Amino acid sequence: MPSIKALATLSPPCTTRTWSSTPHPHLPIVATACSDKTARIYSLQNFEQQSTISGGHKRSVRSCAWKPNSRGESVLVTGSFDASAGIWRRWENNAGGGGKAEIDFTGGMAGGEEGEDEDEDEWRFAVILDGHDSEIKCVAFAATSPLLATCSRDKSVWIWEELEDDNFETVAVLQEHEGDVKCVAWHPSEEMLASGSYDDTIRLWREDVDDWACCALLTGHEGTVWWMDFEDVNNIYALDSDSTKTLTETQKTYVQGRMKAGPRLISCSDDMTIRIWKRIPKDKPEVPTGQIKAPSIWKNRDFEEEWVEEARLPQVHERPIYTVSWSKKTGKVVSTGSDGKIVVYEEQWREAKPENDADGDTTMDGATPAPEGEASTTNQSSNQLTEWKAVAVLENGHDVFEINHAVWAPRADKDKRTEDEEVIVSTGDDGEVKVWTLEP
Amino acid sequence: MDLDKDNANPTIINPSDLPSRRRSTPDAKPLGIFDALVPAYYPVALVDPLSSPEHLHDASSSDDDLDREEIDEQEVYDLISTISDPEHPLSLGSLGVVTLADIAIIPPSSPQSRISTVRVLVTPTTSACSLTTVIGLGVKVRLMEALPPRFRIDVRIKQGTSKTADEVNKQLGDKERVAAAMENRSLVSVVSNMLATCE
Repeated sequence: MPSIKALATLSPPCTTRTWSSTPHPHLPIVATACSDKTARIYSLQNFEQQSTISGGHKRSVRSCAWKPNSRGESVLVTGSFDASAGIWRRWENNAGGGGKAEIDFTGGMAGGEEGEDEDEDEWRFAVILDGHDSEIKCVAFAATSPLLATCSRDKSVWIWEELEDDNFETVAVLQEHEGDVKCVAWHPSEEMLASGSYDDTIRLWREDVDDWACCALLTGHEGTVWWMDFEDVNNIYALDSDSTKTLTETQKTYVQGRMKAGPRLISCSDDMTIRIWKRIPKDKPEVPTGQIKAPSIWKNRDFEEEWVEEARLPQVHERPIYTVSWSKKTGKVVSTGSDGKIVVYEEQWREAKPENDADGDTTMDGATPAPEGEASTTNQSSNQLTEWKAVAVLENGHDVFEINHAVWAPRADKDKRTEDEEVIVSTGDDGEVKVWTLEP
Repeated sequence: MDLDKDNANPTIINPSDLPSRRRSTPDAKPLGIFDALVPAYYPVALVDPLSSPEHLHDASSSDDDLDREEIDEQEVYDLISTISDPEHPLSLGSLGVVTLADIAIIPPSSPQSRISTVRVLVTPTTSACSLTTVIGLGVKVRLMEALPPRFRIDVRIKQGTSKTADEVNKQLGDKERVAAAMENRSLVSVVSNMLATCE
């Protein structure tokens, strides 16, 4: 059984609550959102603070996001309880030459970092985005286009388009949620946004002709949806590559089905559950007649999407779950929350059931895929071929404090074991950001 | 002037009828009207039977003293009963908004866990009390500030006492909303006025 082992505590810690730590898309740093109105940049190479971004916000910084594909210059957005979002820029030292220095592990340990310390204040304030009526809870840059999403207690989601540097235009204000919008997450390969809310629902949004609109409403959670994350595009192969055995025909069919449906969405909630949602591909328009009530209000069959709950992760948490993060490298999931636990889950091929006589390994065609064919929307798992298991549990990760956030990040310190090794970065009410390894 | 208030004429409990460690144990039957006439100065430690098991426990936990200090319902009551009502110059204890019977301390769920839960049920003075959320917030903030961090504070509206209970419960249970409220100057000043009467 794997275990979660402490690697480091980022230094110095914040003296008050820290909310979240977001890994940079390609540099070995994280941006930590702090209730002292600052964002702190810490190195994952030497675990020390690199710089502080302060002076821009009047209240807690609740979340941070990095602009993807920003080689040469890092762009950070900070979302604050003061209802504004700030855009900050900083030249990447290695921008011109090499571009490799950031993965040179010696840089973080010796002389290399010295110069950085003097550059403490080189974060440049670029622009402030005003518009929300109350606290911004979450911010996210799109992976596929120059779009930024912000969400707030004012029940709205705003989508901003960066027309040119620092010129952000509001392209949509989405107001269909009936409560605070707690989190936003972009689909990794499509221009689609997910939002989770205090109204216990998740909404998916896309652009329909000219306007952004809700293309799916995901109901089921019985409490605030605190966080969501999409699966990586390539991660649908995770099960495949994980397995040393050759797949059965049934399993191959399942993998193909998954590839067709695209990345799944995972969500965690105040109701102490973690749920996985999948899209039902609609190549055959008339498939789901069984359980769905007449889709009379569907205005545009091509625009609306059908997403259903595919699985629930084993319940380990005993209090609200604040974040869930889906590894882009291994497909593993990590969750954390009010009970101070950090839990890692893994999706595995389900062992063939004894009743189905022959072993799953060798059966080529005997077992027909899930007898209940179509997806039943609310059951434990609508997919009988895989199952999720909690593979590692750590209690009291931040002493007795609540943990607000946990995320996978590439390991970057000198003791890194493999090229693809990941660490878990957790952020807590004690003001600390901790780094953990998953020991096999 | 009192016309503005949600509940201009609340029922007020005689201070001497309020639970206190000095006179009675929490489980004792309610005091009669004449009991209030009895002088309330008994030796403190001896009278409280609840404290004895904790003393035993204290003796065995020397290295973790501060952290493991046991806390009972009466202590929680003492922390919150002196909070002032935002509408009346009276304490939440004397208004019966908080009562000893509606305080529960739930121990850690497993030997590995060190997290206990304090659950307080608040009874608003009227079923329509618009200040219910503020009162709940005051209780929550008071306990968050006074109790060690190993306690999770769940403040809820007692079932059947308020039309808006679910809504208020959800707000009070929402960490992010509570945190944001405590950065809101006008709310902070209301809450600190309420807490000014706590020692």
